[in-house]
Amino acid sequence: MSEAPLDTTTSTQATVVPPTAQRNSGLLSTGVGRNLGLVVALVVLCIVGAVTAGDTFATGPNVLTILRLAATIGVVSIGMTFVITGGGIDLSVGAILALSSVWATTLATQQMADSYGWIVMASTALLVGAACGLVNGILVAYGKIVPFIATLAMLAAARGLAETISDRRTQIVANNSFVDFFGGSLIGVPVLVWIFLLVAAAGWVVLNRTTFGRRTFAVGGNAEAARLAGIKVQRHTAALYVLAGLCCGIAAVMLMARTTTGSSTHGQFYELDAIAAVVIGGTLLSGGRGTIVGTVFGVLIFSTLNNVFTLNNLSISAQSVAKGVIIVIAVLLQQRLASRTTSS
Amino acid sequence: MSEAALLTMTGIVKEFPGVRALDGVDLDVRAGEVHCLLGQNGAGKSTLIRVLTGAHQPDAGAIQIDGEDVQLNSPTAAIDRGIAAIYQELDLVPGLSVAENIFLGHEPSTFGFSRRHEAALRAREILEGLGHGEIPVRREVGSLPAAGQQVVSMARALSRDARLIVMDEPSAVLDPEEVANLFRVIKGLTERGVAVVYISHRLEEIREIGDRVTVLKDGATVATGLDARETPTQELIRLMTGRSIEYVFPPRAEILSTAPVVLSVEGLSRPGEFAEISFDVRAGEIVGFAGLVGSGRSEVLETVYGARRAATGSVHVDGKRLKPGRVQSAVKAGVGLAPEERKSQALLMDEAVFKNITVSSMERFASVGFLNRTAERQVATQLAESLDVRPPGVDRPVRNLSGGNQQKVVLARWLLRDCRVLLLDEPTRGVDVGARSEIYALVRKLAASGVAIVLVSSEVEEVLGLADRVVVLREGQAVHTGPAQDIDEHQVLDLVMEGSSV
Amino acid sequence: MSHSARTIIVAGIGVLALAACTSNTPKADPSDAAKTQAVSAGKNDEPGKKVKIGFSAPAADHGWMGAITKATQAEAKKYSDVELVVAEGTNDVNLQISQVETFINQKVDAIVLLPFDGAALTAVATKAMEAGITVVNVDREFGSPAAARTTVLGDNYGMGVSAGGYVCSQLKDKKDSIVAEIAGIDSLPLTQDRSKGFKDALAGCGLKVNNRVAAEFTVESGEKAAANLLQAAPKIDAIWNHDDDQGVGVMAAIKNSNRKDFFLVGGAGSANVMRDIKAGTSLVKATVVYPSTQGADGVRLARLLLQKKALGDLVEVEVPRKVQLFAPVVTKDNVDQYLPTAFES
Repeated sequence: MSEAPLDTTTSTQATVVPPTAQRNSGLLSTGVGRNLGLVVALVVLCIVGAVTAGDTFATGPNVLTILRLAATIGVVSIGMTFVITGGGIDLSVGAILALSSVWATTLATQQMADSYGWIVMASTALLVGAACGLVNGILVAYGKIVPFIATLAMLAAARGLAETISDRRTQIVANNSFVDFFGGSLIGVPVLVWIFLLVAAAGWVVLNRTTFGRRTFAVGGNAEAARLAGIKVQRHTAALYVLAGLCCGIAAVMLMARTTTGSSTHGQFYELDAIAAVVIGGTLLSGGRGTIVGTVFGVLIFSTLNNVFTLNNLSISAQSVAKGVIIVIAVLLQQRLASRTTSS
Repeated sequence: MSEAALLTMTGIVKEFPGVRALDGVDLDVRAGEVHCLLGQNGAGKSTLIRVLTGAHQPDAGAIQIDGEDVQLNSPTAAIDRGIAAIYQELDLVPGLSVAENIFLGHEPSTFGFSRRHEAALRAREILEGLGHGEIPVRREVGSLPAAGQQVVSMARALSRDARLIVMDEPSAVLDPEEVANLFRVIKGLTERGVAVVYISHRLEEIREIGDRVTVLKDGATVATGLDARETPTQELIRLMTGRSIEYVFPPRAEILSTAPVVLSVEGLSRPGEFAEISFDVRAGEIVGFAGLVGSGRSEVLETVYGARRAATGSVHVDGKRLKPGRVQSAVKAGVGLAPEERKSQALLMDEAVFKNITVSSMERFASVGFLNRTAERQVATQLAESLDVRPPGVDRPVRNLSGGNQQKVVLARWLLRDCRVLLLDEPTRGVDVGARSEIYALVRKLAASGVAIVLVSSEVEEVLGLADRVVVLREGQAVHTGPAQDIDEHQVLDLVMEGSSV
Repeated sequence: MSHSARTIIVAGIGVLALAACTSNTPKADPSDAAKTQAVSAGKNDEPGKKVKIGFSAPAADHGWMGAITKATQAEAKKYSDVELVVAEGTNDVNLQISQVETFINQKVDAIVLLPFDGAALTAVATKAMEAGITVVNVDREFGSPAAARTTVLGDNYGMGVSAGGYVCSQLKDKKDSIVAEIAGIDSLPLTQDRSKGFKDALAGCGLKVNNRVAAEFTVESGEKAAANLLQAAPKIDAIWNHDDDQGVGVMAAIKNSNRKDFFLVGGAGSANVMRDIKAGTSLVKATVVYPSTQGADGVRLARLLLQKKALGDLVEVEVPRKVQLFAPVVTKDNVDQYLPTAFES
């Protein structure tokens, strides 16, 4: 909004900030503007891809390949965005995903799925994910254990439990309707990508348009102030971890469909991928500021990067170095442009 | 005091994107004087200090030290020129010892091994020079009281041979006796030829300690070289605000003895903090708590609010008992708290004004969890306008507002909830003179509308001027309770200090 | 897990493939009935139509897996008609699936795939086959035969048999000998296969495994397991250690114990161990190979398939469905033969 200059002569006090036209109207502040650095990074990547491997890169199937790769880690990252915005961190997402996938593909679960449909497997994964998240939440919010340590413990425990349940064997999804449904397409777009889009959209709405989201910002930005303002900080913190766990459960269903397996090795290092995507997206690692749109961009940048690398047959070591460099450049770009558009 | 200027700043201009924070500031400081910098919040004092200490580079203007043009490109450059600053939020490392803090960055060392013994000796020497030889040099700084930390901060400046020390509201965190101590230290410094630039909102302090005054308004010098003792208060206020105002408390309204008791506190205790505190607050009444830092005044308030859990005793609002230790329960019953540390306890500094106002009433704007942001903005805008929050516009982050306006935002938050009880802890800390009167008027208006108000302040004058009844706390005990008219400032000070060493 | 692999060398048919490239035995022209132009082994090396081959493998987090990719790239470089596209090694099946999808989009002619998890990559490999791309499966088998045209495998059971056979040959006169085994990750099928082969071979000469411990294919776990074993068994005549990477730790533990009452048989066949065997000064007397050249063989087979060539020295005009490599025992007598293809751990 633009503001009329203040008439300071009649006021009882001097103006604190001299009148300035605030440049925060509509789109610029909420969408493209704040994420300009990310948009630029993604566009540059796409140009590089199109120039170096145009005949393959710019095709519909390849775009879907990028999106399918982004979908699973994307859903995990949406959950991570909430936890980090709320001032926490969740290192256990990959392990929870693995445990959910294993639990949902045990012989017993699959037998039940034979009688009651694949919904049994899907809800098992979601329930296991949410339950793990709840344990994280209780440890952090009520047990007062630092999130880093609590979720590190969950990382070890969940993956260990997954290994015990599966005996470290890969469990095949025998239920064809499960694979057919989640592995299929809707209006030419894979169901996995639809799920990612839905979760991202829901995440955006919840974070930006609901009391839950507002409380998340408050708890992450200043937990003490939030508590004294009457927000149930502990309960909310716990809820954030449940949400992250639930997202892991959803991601487990997606990975089960994509690989037709459940395995204790699924989701290795997803915590790092997710944190990287979230932070590149502009969410503050210390909490209080978070953006779903940024996270989606972060995930897309990573999966596009992988795609461009594979297409260009870069040497494997060069790929790792390039990834590191690009992360730093993206974050720098993001910071510069964000400060330019928001400073007044 | 010599007549030659130690520091001369002329025509200093500093622009930030969209803001001209300094617009031609002149300042000259002589060796051995206490030069007071006056101005409302936002007049440019903080920016000027940042320029002086090398944290900001001016866009125009000249800085001379001993008549020689200098560029203060970095904090290090300023330190090398003998300029040091002591900020409101002290920049000490709490986990290091007193001596380590004093010599942070220039430890006496041989081949990288610090000579701890020598550091300790020299630290003790400096502290004794400041009249505070009793501060143990090996103690962790974090465990010292605010006043002690301030002294350490000054010792650090002296350890670098500072010739000019800037003190930004040093008295804000101190009790009266500690302020007296601070003044002794400052006098010692000026006798040694050190110049002090002193910033404070308290005119009476300036009268006591200051030599000359420079007044800033809207980023420019409006008067300089005024005599700190002789210049009339009216004149200073006129210069600062551009008009003359009276520093007044609004008249009290009559409290009817038939007014219902809204807040009733009985036998509240927390071991080590306070014991057996009981008081009632009627609708429309303001009860003020006076006491030194550590007397338990803030703790009582926070316990009533449920932010601390009472060991014994009960709190009733409108006859309903609150669950001890549950903020939720208090908020639900219509209790609001404006805490002492606004920045760390009340505000979400990076969030917009309207979000800070609505944070405790979100349910009101939500259906099935979805917020109606248009309604939120509308209501917040109305409230902000009625409280004259400046600058207007509810979308800017609270961080950009001055202390007084931030306090109004906190009050607006509880107004929105139609509070039955409002607990105010140091409502005017860091608030400039003009805005103070506004807040006083606001508090009085709230009371008139039937809100029961509990006020805690370290300024006795404020408690006596604003409250209907006064409770005096000493070491966690209520030593006096009675109508505000029946007691004066001296009596209160006697009560709070009785038995203390001063 | 990547611990699978290790072993062998070209056996059976695999040997023939090797022979084909070093070929010096021209073969008679193929029968005129053959639709494909089966040519002599020597002719297989001659440049044919250009082929683009995609290669994806798990992360090179230990010596053997690193060697797989290196050998594959080196092999591809030998052929002017092969363009090899290598994807970043990953233990994330989601990413590996995406890499295969990218290869499909890129319309490569063949994909040589060492899956992190065979079952998880089956669906996407099948998709590639359906898109007309020749898939060569390496080391870890897919869940469906439709997912690959041909499969190159090591022989885990055979490794155990070879190791057991060697131990038997050394201890055949002493029926009361104590034999110990240091296995890899115990829950993996490949470890179970190796142990079973070892046990079966020992039974043939009246011996059994007296002491058995399991490590985790890492140096550190090898040290720990071996130290425990040496504590538990005061007298040992022979030890078989499944993996030469973890063997570095095993050797360290043995050195610390000052024990010299036994000999050691290695597994997988790292160059380090082979040099020790050649020098003859250490307790390691032999190792059993699990070839790290499986990926390289995969590239060769893919090229043959695409250029419609047959394996030399086989009458059959098509490349076989499955090539299982042999797990030979390397001793001082034959170490020179295997050292050049051994991997550096």
